[in-house]
Amino acid sequence: MTIVPQLIVNSLFAGSVYALMAMSFTLIFGATKFFNFVHGSFTVIGGYAVFYLVERLAWPIYIAIILSIIVAGGVGFILDKTVNLPLRKKKSTNTVKLVASLGLFIVIQAFVAILFTSQFQTLSNTIEQKIYQIGSAVFTQTQAVMFVSAIVVFFGIMLLLKFTLFGKAVNALSDDEEVAKIVGINTDKIISYVFFIGAAISGWVGILVAYDTGIEPTMGLGALLKGIIAAVVGGMGSVPGAFLGAFLLGFAENFGIWKINGEWKDAIAFGLLIIFLLFRPQGIIKK
Amino acid sequence: MPAYLIHLAILFSIYAILALSLNLIFGYTGLMSLAHAAFFGIGAYTVAILTTRYNFNFLSATLAGIIAAIILAALIGFVLSKFKGDYYTLGSLGFNFIIFATMLNLQNLTNGPLGIPGIPRPNFFGLDSSIDFNFLLLSTCCLLLVYLICRFIVNSSFGRALKAIREDEQALEIFGYNVRNFKFLVFVISAGLAAIAGSLFACFITYIDPTTFGSNESVFLWSIIILGGLANLRGSLLGALFLILLPEALRFVGFPENVAAQMRQLVYGLLLVILMMYRPQGLMGEYKL
Amino acid sequence: MKILETHNLTKHFDGVYAVNGLDIAFEQGAITGIIGPNGSGKSTLTNLLTGIFGFNHGTVMVEGVTLKKISAYKLPAFGITRTFQEVRLFEQMTILDNILVTLTSRHVFSSLFETHSKLHLKQAQEILEKIGLWEKKNQLAHNLSYGQRKLLEIGRVLAMDAKIILLDEPFAGLFAEMIKVIVKIIEELKQQGKTLVLIEHNMELIRELCDYLYVMDEGKLLAEGKPAGVLSEKKVVEAYLGE
Repeated sequence: MTIVPQLIVNSLFAGSVYALMAMSFTLIFGATKFFNFVHGSFTVIGGYAVFYLVERLAWPIYIAIILSIIVAGGVGFILDKTVNLPLRKKKSTNTVKLVASLGLFIVIQAFVAILFTSQFQTLSNTIEQKIYQIGSAVFTQTQAVMFVSAIVVFFGIMLLLKFTLFGKAVNALSDDEEVAKIVGINTDKIISYVFFIGAAISGWVGILVAYDTGIEPTMGLGALLKGIIAAVVGGMGSVPGAFLGAFLLGFAENFGIWKINGEWKDAIAFGLLIIFLLFRPQGIIKK
Repeated sequence: MPAYLIHLAILFSIYAILALSLNLIFGYTGLMSLAHAAFFGIGAYTVAILTTRYNFNFLSATLAGIIAAIILAALIGFVLSKFKGDYYTLGSLGFNFIIFATMLNLQNLTNGPLGIPGIPRPNFFGLDSSIDFNFLLLSTCCLLLVYLICRFIVNSSFGRALKAIREDEQALEIFGYNVRNFKFLVFVISAGLAAIAGSLFACFITYIDPTTFGSNESVFLWSIIILGGLANLRGSLLGALFLILLPEALRFVGFPENVAAQMRQLVYGLLLVILMMYRPQGLMGEYKL
Repeated sequence: MKILETHNLTKHFDGVYAVNGLDIAFEQGAITGIIGPNGSGKSTLTNLLTGIFGFNHGTVMVEGVTLKKISAYKLPAFGITRTFQEVRLFEQMTILDNILVTLTSRHVFSSLFETHSKLHLKQAQEILEKIGLWEKKNQLAHNLSYGQRKLLEIGRVLAMDAKIILLDEPFAGLFAEMIKVIVKIIEELKQQGKTLVLIEHNMELIRELCDYLYVMDEGKLLAEGKPAGVLSEKKVVEAYLGE
């Protein structure tokens, strides 16, 4: 039974990463209404940006991190303006946008592999990686940051949506884009800012993962899929739902592999997705 | 014929089979499945395991591969049929992931990430296909067979019903069609055909590992049929030709090695984006996404 | 004889009753109209009768057989077919294919190995010539004009050769010439002994075509009877003007 605290701790950290991906994904989905697979690319960009700045250019860590987040957000902003906006103007179907996003994901993955090779790389631990212990559970400083940032981002987004003018515009846009336009909201501008925020959060996940384990060009897909599963389970378009779904997923995965081989973690995740799609497709929190 | 071109021609025939079979469900029936690479892989792994460990011959191993793919397609197709629209795609991606994870983790069966080497080239009609040119004859015959099967399906009343399912399946039901059965059958047939490609691939390269059958491969197959033109069989051939040859041709243009290695991804990724923005009906454009 | 009836038919969406305890009956061989203000439940009723929605309560009786639920793909077996208010054609298929699909085998294996192609083609030609679309047979449905689209939907109804035909606003948005064509087809269908249910907003046509008329309001029956009488009832006029 002494393994239980460690399982709980593992679940919380997995849940934190999934929550960050899920919340950002669901935020963008609420505004654009299609499955945007390029979202995983921002994770890759964030991770590699910080790797490049810290390892190759020897920049101070905290500046590198902040810049990497901005770079990831910036790429998201630019992609929205150059690819999604024209498709929106053409009134393309969601399918077309989904396919385009897949293409972008592949291209970015290829670019990163060209610039940095396909090898798995790690960041040297230039931040003192303290190890903490609660009872019989052990975790690193990076993992603690994961957890705290998930909570901070959650409250940050909720406050943004509830109390700022921008947030209210996002809500209006997510509810009904046509009506939002009619009342004078510049929906295209709002969407690109939502993209910036979502991509930045996704980039932050990449930075966390970079310091937790390491980076490789294909890292985007796994994180994205878990994020999507969490978002679907929690209820697409609902940020609290995404937050909840992510931790549910984290716990299901880590407790699920208690008795069976750890390599089946992903199968558990997808099993959860399939079960929800079959029996409660609107997710935990209906939007 | 120079060895390199024979090599490319064989690859072309394998990917053409994959494209034709995917087009049946995606272009004609509107089932946007990202699970196709998984059935490709099941065909490949079944043949690899049966020929290297149990001394099956090519024909019976391939048949076993087709059956394995069909059985899995029956299960997966059944579950997927409960999902609509983009959730169908998401679920299919999930299944591709699960099968990929299985290939990676069931190490006793599949040798995990190390893959299965030493797959024998088949002997058929007395021809030894360890000579590449003979293998090309085999793969071309298979391509012809698959093409004829697809053409037969597509030109039949069944094929017409598939297109109507893509357009408006609820309206089609009103006319008396039990749409579920049609979707099920075409999905299962498509998986069986993909397994043939898997068998050819395994025997040609003589070595397989899980990385060939991940979701990137499924997306690559999407780009072939979208480029060629959905719901157009000759388009699938054209798309496969283009996307096998072009990246290879670009390798010789003088790009540095690290770029050349990623050439295929760059090409088809960019093509997907450009096609969606400027020509969603692809080259032989019969159906626009 | 009442060939089609509903008993206490009810359908609600999130607590809003679209069709509420409806008892309605359609006489065999007659043209029965259904009118009512927007939101009165006419289209929902049609969707319930054709398996698009399931019922929450009640039953439907077809030729004496009581049904607690209707599966859309079983409709032809009950002899029922319909058109859609929003015209649902198979857009990226040819006009010919749109008709052929209603003629060819429905069974998975016999459609794969179809043996009656020539016959089906001949039947399709007859129908398309009747509605004047044979020349355009290889054009894609989504390239047709609005009037031609409505006509093609009627063409599919003719191909189905059903006993009971539900027409959901077949005249909406059409010019006079096109209306005449469709009216003629409807009258011919009646002569052949078909039962027609006509949902419309065009009161003139209702008066001209219908043998019997139902008025719906808020999911219930407001009035029924011969068109002339019903249309002059005070509560009917109020229901329409009051909305």
